[in-house]
Formats: sequence, C-alpha cells, structure tokens
Amino acid sequence: MLPPDPPRLAEWLLRRLVGGRDADAVAGDLRETFEARGASRVWYWGQVLSCLTVRLSSYRRALPGFGTDFSRALRRMRRNPGYAFTAMLCLALALGVNATLFSFLDSVYFRKLPVPGAERIVSIGRERAPFCTSRQYFAFAGDLRTVKAAAAIGSGTWVELGSRQYTVLAEVVSLNYAQVLGVGTELGRWFGPDSESAGEPPVVISDRFWKTRLGGDPDVLGRQLRITDRSYRIIGVATAQFSGTFPPTLRDVWVPMRASGAGTDLVARLAPGATLEEAGAEMRVVSARLRASDPQNEGLASPVVVKPRTGFLFRFERDFVMPILTLLMAVSAVVLLIACVNVANLLLSRAAVRRREMAIRQSLGASRARLFRETLAEGLVLAAGGLMLGMFLGYWTGRALEFLLPSQPVAMYQGLRLGIDWRVAGFLAAAGVLCAVLFSLPPAFANGRRNLSPAMKGIDVRNSRHRSFYSIAQVALSLTLLVATGLLVRALDRVQHLDPGFASDHRGYVSVRDMDQNPSLYSALLDQARRIPGVEGATAAWGVFPNSGGGCAAAAEGEKPRDLTSDLVDPSYFEIMRIPILKGSGFAPSGSFTDAPHVVVNETMARMFWPGQGPVGKRLWFPADCTSDEKAQMGTVIGVARDSKYQSLGEGPLPFYYLSRFEDRGNGFYTIVVQTAGDPRQWIQPLVSLVERNGANLRIYRTGTLDDSVSESLWEVKWQASLLGFVGLLAIVLAAIGVYGVVACSVAQRTREIGVRMALGALPLDVQWMVLAHGLRITGIGIAVGLLLSAFTVRLLRGFLYGLSPFDPVAFAAAGFAWIAIAIVASWYPARRATRVDPVTALNYE
Amino acid sequence: MPPIYLGEFEQIVLLAVLRLGEKAYGVPIRAEIESRAGRKVTVGALYATLDRLEAKGLVHSWFADPTAQRGGRSKRYFRLLPAGLEALSGSKAVFDRMWEGLHV
Repeated sequence: MLPPDPPRLAEWLLRRLVGGRDADAVAGDLRETFEARGASRVWYWGQVLSCLTVRLSSYRRALPGFGTDFSRALRRMRRNPGYAFTAMLCLALALGVNATLFSFLDSVYFRKLPVPGAERIVSIGRERAPFCTSRQYFAFAGDLRTVKAAAAIGSGTWVELGSRQYTVLAEVVSLNYAQVLGVGTELGRWFGPDSESAGEPPVVISDRFWKTRLGGDPDVLGRQLRITDRSYRIIGVATAQFSGTFPPTLRDVWVPMRASGAGTDLVARLAPGATLEEAGAEMRVVSARLRASDPQNEGLASPVVVKPRTGFLFRFERDFVMPILTLLMAVSAVVLLIACVNVANLLLSRAAVRRREMAIRQSLGASRARLFRETLAEGLVLAAGGLMLGMFLGYWTGRALEFLLPSQPVAMYQGLRLGIDWRVAGFLAAAGVLCAVLFSLPPAFANGRRNLSPAMKGIDVRNSRHRSFYSIAQVALSLTLLVATGLLVRALDRVQHLDPGFASDHRGYVSVRDMDQNPSLYSALLDQARRIPGVEGATAAWGVFPNSGGGCAAAAEGEKPRDLTSDLVDPSYFEIMRIPILKGSGFAPSGSFTDAPHVVVNETMARMFWPGQGPVGKRLWFPADCTSDEKAQMGTVIGVARDSKYQSLGEGPLPFYYLSRFEDRGNGFYTIVVQTAGDPRQWIQPLVSLVERNGANLRIYRTGTLDDSVSESLWEVKWQASLLGFVGLLAIVLAAIGVYGVVACSVAQRTREIGVRMALGALPLDVQWMVLAHGLRITGIGIAVGLLLSAFTVRLLRGFLYGLSPFDPVAFAAAGFAWIAIAIVASWYPARRATRVDPVTALNYE
Repeated sequence: MPPIYLGEFEQIVLLAVLRLGEKAYGVPIRAEIESRAGRKVTVGALYATLDRLEAKGLVHSWFADPTAQRGGRSKRYFRLLPAGLEALSGSKAVFDRMWEGLHV
C-alpha cells in the first residue's frame, strides 16, 4: 500500500511560507518523517505552522526592516494596551457586522451546495421554461457525455402525521439524483435502480424532518408516510447538512420521478475533464434535437442556461432580498468607514504624542516612506487584531441571526446560512487591509510634513483640526443612519397601528382539510364549535388573513377578465369578523351549489368595476380559465362589504370578492374561526379535539390566533427595522467613542492652558463649559451636515416606508436631539477631568 | 574578527551537523537532536537556526539531486565550515574555563 499523502492545504501553505527550493527540501523532510510517524495530520500542521519563524527570521525577509516595524508596533501597543484594544474593538464591531452581511450576500450569490466536489455541480435550465419534460429526460439522460445529469422538480406538498397535516417542500427526482450529487444518508439508503419496482414508492426524508416531525425515531426505515394523499415507504434519511438543490428553501422529502409530461430542470455534475462551456454546447445540441422532435412545445425555444449551481437558485428569490441587502451593505460600509475614522483619530492622537520623536527622526534623515511604513505596520497590526475579534463577533452575530430567522414565515429565509467560510474570511481580510491603509494615511501625512520646527518645539495645530474634521464626518454619517433607523421604526409603528378592517382580537383558528370534501361536515363542525363553553361565535372561510384565493372576473360577457383576490366564506363570516355590509346584504344562511352564485364585493372592486353606479344587482362573469373569456360562469352581486386587509397590513387597497361556501364546491380546505371570551389560545386544543372526533378524513394543517397572524404579517418590516436599528446603534456607539476621543485628547493637550486658566481664577464651571462646548461644537456642525446628507439619502428608503414620507420631521428631529444628548454624555467625562487638573502639575506638564 | 557568540541551540545544531558528517540533512539532524539532547524540535525552528548559521558563515548548504523517495523532493545537506568549527571550539573553551575547579 502506498503511504498516505500529507495534507495538501498544509503543503501549499508551506510553499507560501518558505518558498523556493528550500520549501522543497523542508516538504521532503516533513514527508519522510510524516510517513515514519504513521501519518499524523495534526503533527504535520504543527510543523508547517512552525515555519512561520523561518519566514520571519531576519535573514530571509522579503522586505528588510518590515519585521522591525512590526515588532516596534507591537512593543508600542504593549506599552499602551488601552489604546490598542479600543482601536481593535472599534474595528472588530464594524468588521463583525460586515462579516455577517457579507455572508448573507455570499449565500445569495456564491455559496455552493453542501456536497463533495460541489464546484463541478451545474444547473441546466432555460431562461423562461423548464429544460425538458421528464419523459424527454429519461430518453436522453444516458447519452450525455460532458455531464452526469439528474432531474429534479421542486414542489410544495403536504405530509400527514396522525390527524395533522404539515406543509413541506419536496423534490421529485430521478433515481440517480444522490449518485450525481454524491450525497449520502444518516440512515438507510437513497434510491437505487430497484426503486422502480411495484408496491409502495420509496421516499427519502431530510434529517430535519426526521428529527423535528418524527422525533428522530431510530426505527423510521420502512415506516409508511402519506404524502399528497399517497402512501410512501421511508427508505432513508439524508445527510444532516443536505437540504435539497433549491437553496435557499429547505427540502424535506424526496420522491422518485416518473416519466411524464411534467417540465423539469436538471442538476448535473461535469464529467472528468469536461468544462462548463462544453457542457453548455452539448446541452444546446440536446435542446435543438428536443425542439425538432416536439415543435409544438414553445418552451423548448427558450435559450438554454448552463451555470454553476451557487447561491439562491431562482432569480425572484435573489430579487426579493436584494433591496434590503443592498441597503444593509451600504449601511455596514458606512459603519466600517466610521470605525476607520475612529482608528485614524486614535492613531493621529498617538502621532501627536510622538510628533517630536518623528520630527527628530526625520531631521536625522529618516525618509517619509520609512515613517509611513512604520505607521502602516501599526495599522496592519491593529487591523489584524480587529479582524480576529471581528470574525469571532461576526460568527456570533450570524448564529444569532440564524436563530432569529426560522421564526419568519417565509421559507426562503429559513435556508439562509450565515456561517463564516473562506470567502467571507477573504472578504474580511481584504476589508481589514483596506482599513489599515485608510487609517494609516492621515497620521502618515501628519507625520510627513515638511516644516519640522513647530513639531520639534511641540506646537501642534493641524492635527487637532484634522481630528475635529473626522469627528464631524462621523457624527454626520451616524446621524444619517439614525435618521434612517428612526424612519423605519416610525413606519413600523404606523403599520402596526393600521386598522386591518376586521376584528382580530379574541379570535383563534384551526385550518382543516376534509379529504371527502363533504360540505355538510363543516356545518356540523361549526355547530359543535359554537357549543364549546366560552365560544361566542364560530365561522369558516377558505382562507383567513393573510391567506386569500386568487380569481378573475369581467363586468360584461366577452370582456377581458381582471385579476382579483377572493375568498369562500360561511354566511356568518361578515358578522363574526365585524366586516360591515355597506350596501345590499350578505349571504343567505344556507343555499345549494349553483352555476350562478351570489357575490359580495368589496368597496375597491365596486369602484373599479362600476364607477359611479350602484353595484348591487350587477352581473359578473367568472371565466373557467383566467387567460381566456370562454365558458364564463355568471354571478350576481348582492352586497358590498367594507374594504379590509387581506394579505398584509402594508398592502394597498385590493379588489376582492366573497362567495358563499354553500354555493361553491371549494376544495375541502376551510379555516374555522372562533370568537372566544378570553385568550383564544385556550380554545385551540378543544377545537383540535373536536376536529379529531369528527372523522379520520379530517387533517389539521394550521392552528393559531388572528392577532398573531396580523403581527406576523409585519415580520418583514420588523426584521428590516431591527437589523438596520442594530447597525445604526453600532454606528452611534462608534461615533460617540470618536467624539469622546477627540474631546479627551484636546483636554490632554490643553492641560497646561487649563492649568493657567485655573491658576488665574477660572471657575471649574467655566472650564467644564469650555470643554463641553468643544464637544458640542463638533457635534453641532456634524448634525447640520448629517441632516443635509440625510435629506439627500433618505429617498432611497422610500420602498421600505409603507407610505410614510421620507422627510418625516419626527425622525429627523429625534435623531438630532439624540445626538446632542450623546455628545453631552461623551464630553462630560473629559470635562469633569479637566476641572480636576491641579494647576501646579499642569504648569509643570511635559 | 571578534569571536562569534553561539546560543545553546545553535551549538546543539552545529554539533549534530558535525556528528552526522556526510549524512547531515533535515530529518537525521532532528533525529540526532531528539535522541541525544532529548529535545523535540520543530522543522521551522531548525531551519530558522540553520539559515542564521549559514548567514553567519558557520555552515554551508547545498541541494542534492531529487530521488524517487520522499515524493521526489530534493534534500538540503549541511556541512560545517571552518568558522563553524572554530566557533564551536571557542564556545566549548569558554565553558571549560568556567567549569574549571568546580564540582557540583
């Protein structure tokens, strides 16, 4: 047997660290010993890392003198740990936030599937249609040369467990799916060629589903699972980190695909040696052949797209998160800028202390480049420290966010992974180096000035002016963020207080599916529900907020139908939900299925269809298929209901119509709403048992309260406001540190002046005011600039504000006053310290 | 030329190179130090020291032609230069003088 190879990454690193023929010799030595020692990877890594000293040894430095710069920088920091720590912490806070947000961006665009060799996984599809039908896939899949391709159709479905029914996302896949992806199982196996055989079709479930829904049952293999009203047999549990090929959504069940006319895209692995371009060329040839054999299928004319499978799979998912992501990236870049300015300020104040040393060194012949390099070394050391702390913070911020995200109802965010991987680390390192250069520049220029004599005498004017300028910039930038956060919070507040247009308090619900679709069953259920003690009323609707049905209708026969939203309700719905009928009447308490149903429309729909006319008694045509006006069913409007919110509190007016559940068959889904005397949560369990008593064909798929539904519909704006608020708060903390630093430093520099003033009889209050005024002056200018800046930038927020004006005076004023308060606090401590200066010490200062 | 001061580890490395003669490259040098001085040495520390000794003109190194062993990597051999021998004996003389007449 051949001896094992040493870790490749470690060898690569060794080459970087040592370089040249030496690297070869060292690698050879290590390999020899590695084999002799029984291949311990830990040992190998330890040895490679020990070569850092070879690299840094003063005899083989790439840049002579740089090591000295670093060791000097380190020594200076050891002497002044407070300053170094403050600088690193500022950077770490900003870099941490950037890490989290970059990993968000990373998972939207770049992250690969968690399978071995993921860089060779490609997706094969079309711009506007599925790549082919599954029948076509089975015909050509075996002949592909450049790829091994599996077919996968994403689908939303439901799984029954006892009397409960859970909505899950599934993938319908070809049998070679796991083999192409190289994904394994925790238990059991994936589909094999024998999976086609008769009997119950097999299903593979996700580790998540297994643990959360099946309690991690070790005997799960062989169990039956009802999916979409069909029985399957569980044959495997997929690897824990694998959740399908449709990121960011998490897939929970995989079932085998049958040849049919259903459209499918492909997920494929490039064959050894094949390139993406070759695969693209082959797939275009395949596509041309498909098109020739099936000229009627318009979808096959859509251009073929073959691309690496990274990030969010669908464009609409990326588009959905892009606005908030862009906003957050911009904001976190501003935070990073503020942190850089902070560190630059700190370095400047350090430079002020060392200005005499620098001037002397310069006059003795040290070049400006030499001095700049020294500052840069200091900056790099600070950046490195900040980077390490920042990754740590970023990791925890990411974990915290991941933890918060699953509570969000949008399935898309549940698959978001905010870990720190190599790409994120690389981005951070680049950001760190950029920061180091950015904040090394001002002190370097301050040091490198031509006229040395004032500096040698210890007079310094420009530095403090520089610092004040930076501080003003910080205040202005963070004020802008504060205004933005204020606006979002105000918008949230406004939306929260919007009237949903129906009563949501004291109302609980149970969503039920009747697989027999027996309409009298719901009447019985409602009767029984009304008899539960404490229930004041019960009604049913196909969907309750935020769910509603689609639909379309035309005001006259032959007219093009308009898209609408709709619901199928029990006649008691309007009364229980407190939705008043403004004109005409509601539905009769009973009825029978008919082709000419009664319709209740809302105000918006009435205005839209019959402007300026009474809608009661008017006709509506409902086409069987919304894309054509054929086979229209005629309805009669009997009443107009007041507008309410149907899908989210932030929505604008929607045209909406109601049908009676006695006059339309529906599809067996109903949500039973009960009005209760106390907390509706207490009535959920009695309702569930009631449903369970009423037959084996009922499935419960959701329970809850309407108040929760209403507040959950605001999750997006809440999420945005809290994220932005968090980043904004960080910016303010950093900027406050900046103001404090500038004021404190000016106090230190003016120690002698303050001592003279005190000796000449200045009162402590005068001195305090002098210092405070300095802080307030900086802040005042900063606020003015910041408000101006905000006025230009807040219009970018318009899409997030739910109709609130971006120039909301409350948000602007609040931000301004908040900053004045912060400035007073930040200047207070230095002001107090200034008055404690003992005149004698002060006069002897320096 | 002033006498060259050698650190303890430098002496150990030089002695190991001297003891190994023709066979002195990374692996045996480390093995020699490990077995005689009872010290574990990282490859980084060893090469850093050897580099320093070479820069001081105490050892000379060259690359042997690569062989099929150890993944086809060439070996870097070391040999003591006269200055190295001189520095070693200088160090030993210092210790000998310091120890003279002492019994512990």
